[in-house]
Amino acid sequence: MVDDRFLNELRRDPDPAFAARLRERLDRRDAAAVRQFRWRPVLAASISAAVVIALFAFPSVRASAQAVLDLFRVRNFAAVKFDPSRLEKLRAEKQDSGLLMFGKQEVLQDPGQPQQVGSPQAAGAAAGIEVRTPADVPRRMALEKVMVEGPGAGRLTADAVKLRALLDALDIHDLDVPPNIDGKSVTVRKPPIVFERFASDRHHATLIQARSPEVELPAGVDLAQLAELGMRILGVDRTQARRLAQSVDWHTTLLVPVPGNASSFRGVEVQGNPGLLITTSGDKAPGGEHNREGTVLLWSERDRVYALTSDLDGMEVLQMAESVR
Amino acid sequence: MATEAALSRLSTWVFSATEAHWDALYAEQLPRVYNFFRYRVGAGPVAEDLTSITFEKAWRARHRYRRDLGAFTTWLLTIARNVAADHFRRHRSHASLDEARAVAGGEDPAALAVLRSDIERLARLLERLPEREWELIALKYGADMTNRSIARLTGLSESNVGTILHRTIQVLRAEW
Repeated sequence: MVDDRFLNELRRDPDPAFAARLRERLDRRDAAAVRQFRWRPVLAASISAAVVIALFAFPSVRASAQAVLDLFRVRNFAAVKFDPSRLEKLRAEKQDSGLLMFGKQEVLQDPGQPQQVGSPQAAGAAAGIEVRTPADVPRRMALEKVMVEGPGAGRLTADAVKLRALLDALDIHDLDVPPNIDGKSVTVRKPPIVFERFASDRHHATLIQARSPEVELPAGVDLAQLAELGMRILGVDRTQARRLAQSVDWHTTLLVPVPGNASSFRGVEVQGNPGLLITTSGDKAPGGEHNREGTVLLWSERDRVYALTSDLDGMEVLQMAESVR
Repeated sequence: MATEAALSRLSTWVFSATEAHWDALYAEQLPRVYNFFRYRVGAGPVAEDLTSITFEKAWRARHRYRRDLGAFTTWLLTIARNVAADHFRRHRSHASLDEARAVAGGEDPAALAVLRSDIERLARLLERLPEREWELIALKYGADMTNRSIARLTGLSESNVGTILHRTIQVLRAEW
């Protein structure tokens, strides 16, 4: 008898071995694409997010981030637009490892891969912090997964010769390399990071939280001078880099590089604390494909730093952040 | 380089966070796509090959997937339909009965014998259907889609999809 039931009962699950083989093949493509992605300036939204997230990582790889990492704890944020084409130039100078000012790096503690855990409470137990969660999750999103990346630590040692060579290669001749920087080490300790991903079939948001990194500083280093160097390396124009370097309190301010061709940013308050709202405009990828717009919100509260990334607009992201408890 | 690896891991995570939930989608959609092809070309390696091609195409094009334009299933089955059309263009004859006979699997011997018989008979009947009717059967019972989703995918009206399926099942039943 041919009817609905008969026809439905002919469905079968695919062979598990076939499913596993196909999944493995897709994963291999995934890895290859991520390698390609890392330096694709056209993916401005994702790069912006990656840069922001990198600031939570050990060791941060952007020159300007390195320049300011040794000042934490974070209390304020300052955004600076940089020229994405500079990334390509740095790549051509074989500086894609990001060790722009530091000639030597030592991994003292590898954070390892982020691990999925069962709940925010479990993440809190693993990370040693009280994990906070938004009470107001818009657009019918629900908590999809929670991940924890372990603590990391490393030591970076400056190399004045290498830094001078880089400045020369980038035609930056009006700045001097600090004479006392050579051989100086900075030790960065990155606390565990908790990721909470919320999603619906149409939208997503990820709340990232961690204690502020701890940095052991060498004595006598002029942080403003290093920050100016870092900004210039990223392509910030001379006047702005000088002005920012002199006006920002580098002991409490995290500098966030934002791709200049695809983003806007503004200072905001989240629960009375200073924050930075970055909106990416959704540029065109090769072939005319449209990249989605996105929002990154950074804020700090006491010894915690938070980032909320989403495809929602700035207002909804702010409302979600305001509800974090 | 440890530094690069650290960034790469985070970049990967953030990047994937901006994409469709690939892990969950893969687990949910693989049986759907696979069964769509089983109803189109029969079971066995051809259905698996076409399923693989569909997922690889979907993976490569996933940046183009616009969540505001429709459900992921509809988008994925659009790719699957195109893959099937390409397959049929290259192979003039549709699935062989030998392949169709292999649809049955994982059953106990007695049930398998009955099922094989049913499958063989059904395969013969499906082969005689017009292309559109055959595809609608594959979408409805292979891919387990609703009439509304099929309508969205094919451009037919929902009521038309229901009517065509109803008549097709009547034809199959009459010729059974």
